[in-house]
Amino acid sequence: MMLRLNGVRKYFGRGTINEVLALDGVTLDIEKGEFVCVIGSNGAGKSTLMNSIAGTFFPDEGSVVLQDNAITNWPEHKRAKFIGRVFQDPLSGTSANMTIEENMAIAMLRGKRRGLSRGVKPAHRELFQNRLKKLELGLENRLHDRVGLLSGGQRQALTMLMATLVRPDILLLDEHTAALDPKTAELILSLTRELVEELSLTTLMITHNMHHALAFGSRVIMMHRGRVIFDVRGEKVKSLTVDTLLESFHSVGIAEFSDRMLLV
Amino acid sequence: MITWYAVSGAIEQGLVYGMMSLGVFMTFRLLDFPDLTVDGSLPLGAAVGSVCLAQGMPPFLALIPAAFAGFLAGSVTGILNTKFNILHLLASILTMTALYSVNIRIMGGPNLPLLGLPFVFSPLIEMGITPFLASPIVFGGFAMVAGALLFWFMQTETGQALIATGDNPKMIKSMGVNTHSMIILGVGLSNAMVAVSGALIAQNQGAADVNMGVGTIVAGLASIVVGETLFGSRAGGSSVGRCVVAVVLGSVVYRLAIAFALGIKVGEFSFQPSDLNLITSILVVFALILPQLQKRLRK
Ligand SMILES: Nc1ncnc2c1ncn2[C@@H]1O[C@H](COP(=O)(O)OP(=O)(O)OP(=O)(O)O)[C@@H](O)[C@H]1O
Ligand SMILES: [Mg+2]
Repeated sequence: MMLRLNGVRKYFGRGTINEVLALDGVTLDIEKGEFVCVIGSNGAGKSTLMNSIAGTFFPDEGSVVLQDNAITNWPEHKRAKFIGRVFQDPLSGTSANMTIEENMAIAMLRGKRRGLSRGVKPAHRELFQNRLKKLELGLENRLHDRVGLLSGGQRQALTMLMATLVRPDILLLDEHTAALDPKTAELILSLTRELVEELSLTTLMITHNMHHALAFGSRVIMMHRGRVIFDVRGEKVKSLTVDTLLESFHSVGIAEFSDRMLLV
Repeated sequence: MITWYAVSGAIEQGLVYGMMSLGVFMTFRLLDFPDLTVDGSLPLGAAVGSVCLAQGMPPFLALIPAAFAGFLAGSVTGILNTKFNILHLLASILTMTALYSVNIRIMGGPNLPLLGLPFVFSPLIEMGITPFLASPIVFGGFAMVAGALLFWFMQTETGQALIATGDNPKMIKSMGVNTHSMIILGVGLSNAMVAVSGALIAQNQGAADVNMGVGTIVAGLASIVVGETLFGSRAGGSSVGRCVVAVVLGSVVYRLAIAFALGIKVGEFSFQPSDLNLITSILVVFALILPQLQKRLRK
């Protein structure tokens, strides 16, 4: 077992008129090597689920266990040792003012102590270049360029590399292709597949695209109003179709969203 | 008319305030943390340094307690901001205000004259170098060492994490860095530099004064924007080396400009030293709106 969420409940604005129960007692076990795709309508609690794993905030109830560590009360930076993250906004995962190699050097130290030795170690440059070559974007020749000069797609590709430069126990992807044009999105997705296979990563990916969910997931989870309402894994995923997913959506009465999703 | 004496004095001031400007650069540009603590930590450094000097500590050694005091003041601001969620500007104003009382306590009064004491540039004067060359040389040395140290630090693993904290806290948190510690460390180091600068200024002026810090932040900003406009890029991050040089040179040019402005005489009118804060503020406002004006003009 890689990750276990036990009855995780999360309120926003608790006690105010704007109170939202974003996670309503989610219990979830994720096995080592699983590729879990999370789907669900807007506001279903998908990002909140991911953030409660990453430690962006602490749950109001319930516990989070990562491997053998009870991390429920660990701050985000402490959990980062185990977790690789890629955000929806391609600008979120890199530092624009710093160069490509400086960004990668920061990623090399994820979860490690940072001291007074040189940040960018010359011995690492070859590794950086080799990783960048994989992208086929020519970034391997631009180690000294500021990341702010790169396109959104290039930055997201770099973020993918950075999230996996030190092998994470779990990779969290929150709609990481949603802000990209379709062609770039495909590129980032195939990079995702390559990296996940190469490093045999345990992955949690939020997506609005059901085709992607079915194509990538070894397990598909559907969320609605802060709950997991549908959870299919293993062989059964192969027999799933977009239509059956839509049916499950309809069965819980969220037709209004499913039509939108079909179009994606 | 501006005299050679005034020019030398301005260079000397530019260099001694250069370290202060580097401190402001660190918070304002690298950490993206507008920090007004400096208006209090400059006289704090002067007070602590001067008291140590008056107690018989050698002038170089007296800078160390000053640096510590500055670091402490800065970390108080950092802690108020990160641990107690007080807006950075307000947190720094609170520390600055408190320091006014602290500084008077340290000095035992609103000012502390340093008559007949040895200063950092005294050895050079004893070697026969004229005072108005000796102090620019010594202060130039200090500015260079401070700049080199800052540059070195910013290339270290910790320094890089600090830059990223200022640029993209979300990203650096996901890379395992405690942004609170980085802010406390960064604001602390910045104020340590400002405090050492204050201790040197007190030695240069022959007295520490509780009001000597008024306008420090604005003067620091002025040096930064002058330096960036004349000598270098405004981006922090990977171009820190160039920025460090630009800020120190900017500080010198800024003081020269002030000396020049004070020398202007139009009929009966001439500027007084007390007009300085007005002139500086206008300069900074102008530098801040210049990019926006350029954008509008281009349209
Ligand atoms: N920081 C916050 N403060 C207040 N409310 C929040 C916050 N974050 C999320 N919420 C609320 O919690 C609920 C779940 O939000 P969440 O972002 O997890 O949804 P999601 O499934 O990721 O939706 P989307 O598909 O739109 O990204 C929503 O009602 C949202 O408004
Ligand atoms: Mg979301």
